[in-house]
Amino acid sequence: MDILLLLESALNGALVGLMYSLVAMGIVLIYKSSSVPNLAQGAMVMLAGYVILAFANQLHLPIWAAIPLGIVTMFVIGIGIERVALRRLAGRPIIMILMMTLGIEIFLRAGSMTIWGGTSRPLPIGISDSPLFLGPLLINRAYAVGAGVAVVMFVLLVLFFRTRIGVVLRAISDDYTAAWSVGISVERGVALSWAISAVVATIAAVLWGSVQGVDQSLALLLLKGVTVAVLGGLDSIGGALLAGILLGIVEGTASVVLDPLLGGASRELVDAAMLILTIMLRPHGLFGRHDIERV
Amino acid sequence: MAAITEAKAGNILTLNNVEVVYDYVSLAIKGVSLAVPQGGMVALLGANGAGKSTTLKSISGLLAAERGEVRRGEVAFQGQPINALMPQDRVRLGIAHVLEGRRVFEHLTPDENLIAASAVRSRHDAARNKDRVYSYFPRLFERRGSAAGYLSGGEQQMLAIGRALMTQPKLLMLDEPSLGLAPFLVAEIFQILSRINREDGLSVLLVEQNAIAALEIVSHGYLIESGRIVMHDTAEALKRNPDIQEFYLGGAENKNFRDIKHYRRRKRWLT
Repeated sequence: MDILLLLESALNGALVGLMYSLVAMGIVLIYKSSSVPNLAQGAMVMLAGYVILAFANQLHLPIWAAIPLGIVTMFVIGIGIERVALRRLAGRPIIMILMMTLGIEIFLRAGSMTIWGGTSRPLPIGISDSPLFLGPLLINRAYAVGAGVAVVMFVLLVLFFRTRIGVVLRAISDDYTAAWSVGISVERGVALSWAISAVVATIAAVLWGSVQGVDQSLALLLLKGVTVAVLGGLDSIGGALLAGILLGIVEGTASVVLDPLLGGASRELVDAAMLILTIMLRPHGLFGRHDIERV
Repeated sequence: MAAITEAKAGNILTLNNVEVVYDYVSLAIKGVSLAVPQGGMVALLGANGAGKSTTLKSISGLLAAERGEVRRGEVAFQGQPINALMPQDRVRLGIAHVLEGRRVFEHLTPDENLIAASAVRSRHDAARNKDRVYSYFPRLFERRGSAAGYLSGGEQQMLAIGRALMTQPKLLMLDEPSLGLAPFLVAEIFQILSRINREDGLSVLLVEQNAIAALEIVSHGYLIESGRIVMHDTAEALKRNPDIQEFYLGGAENKNFRDIKHYRRRKRWLT
């Protein structure tokens, strides 16, 4: 076994993992502010990719104008999803809300197929293909940029949850009724969390779109996002970051070791194993909060 | 008629024949009328399931969260009907509701609990209100950094009241604040409530099963049974009333438990 190859895979895996964290952070964000696990996060990433492409290709805007416009559009779409689909479910059993997010996921994927078709479109953002060198190790430049952006988003979100409005969102997730009783507009809080989550999805869309192009397969990032979010503990932004790195490293090295033996699908197997084992062995994930029980 | 209008002028809160249904069918309160005078302290007493909490929720607007609605009657705050307002608008008007079972934001610190409760007030007011809450409850200040879920029951109740005070209420409604607390804590919390009522003129509507403690600090009391107000009098008169003594003050010393139960059941059938 080539130790350098293994190291290189681990390092690039960690960077890809940070890009998974970006998807997971969107899931965590909504969960942290309304206790809803959003199964449409992958589809929101995909939709954001198409929205940016629409601005860039149909309106012929430069990419650096299309991205901010995409962010604004997705912010509004996030608010709209809450208003149209979720507000009427406030206070209903969580399983109905979960099924609703699954419905949104399917709707967005099918809708995008109808409007834009299924062919993959490139989303170039001007990152060169030439790798970075770290000693003897080759690093994918796009992954390195993506990982850097993920870390910046992490810092911003952590700071956000310490602000007054961030504290209000955490209060909503703790107890809807108590939040209402002190004058918090629960509906607006939840709408804001969907909007911010949609913005995070847009940033993920730019980075993933530049790596693999924009098509319906972007929605499959949900699987990575859910795995990372659950492993990190669903309500911990820091947990999502570290779990992303962990999953990326395990995935990267496992593919080097197992791919020759299994013939290709080992990444997905590793993801599935991580998700299932987390739920079996550590349902609160690495950093998730437990329900507080006083003794 | 003139007497009613006159009384209305001095009341911060009036309920007029309020009827509440849950899920469109089950009738929870059947025509409750009550009034809280401006700056007064009033108790709403009654057994489990009598409709005390529902009455409070009809005032704070939290019925909607449980698919309940006021089907008939009027809730008026400072003379204005508020039936149609959202909970947050009622909070902005000055109605605060301390929920039964404390319901603090468990994963937030006491400090964050208070900040979250200042959503309808300005940042400047929030800072001032927080200082005031900590001056009433110094123990909260000592524990301001640890998760509220780990506070003791008494501390959580203080936090729940402090959180309500952060909204700058004119009317403070408390649902069973003595529930599960040691008697000395109940006394401490009730003393602070009296103090706030005295010093700031805050009107208080206190829902309690613990009638002994409640009647010590309020001026008037209502007794609710099966969704109806069955008695209204001054606290002194209520304390002397033989039925109240029997049911709520544990005054029946010379009867055994079985007799009391039988008597109560018979009494309920008769009313």
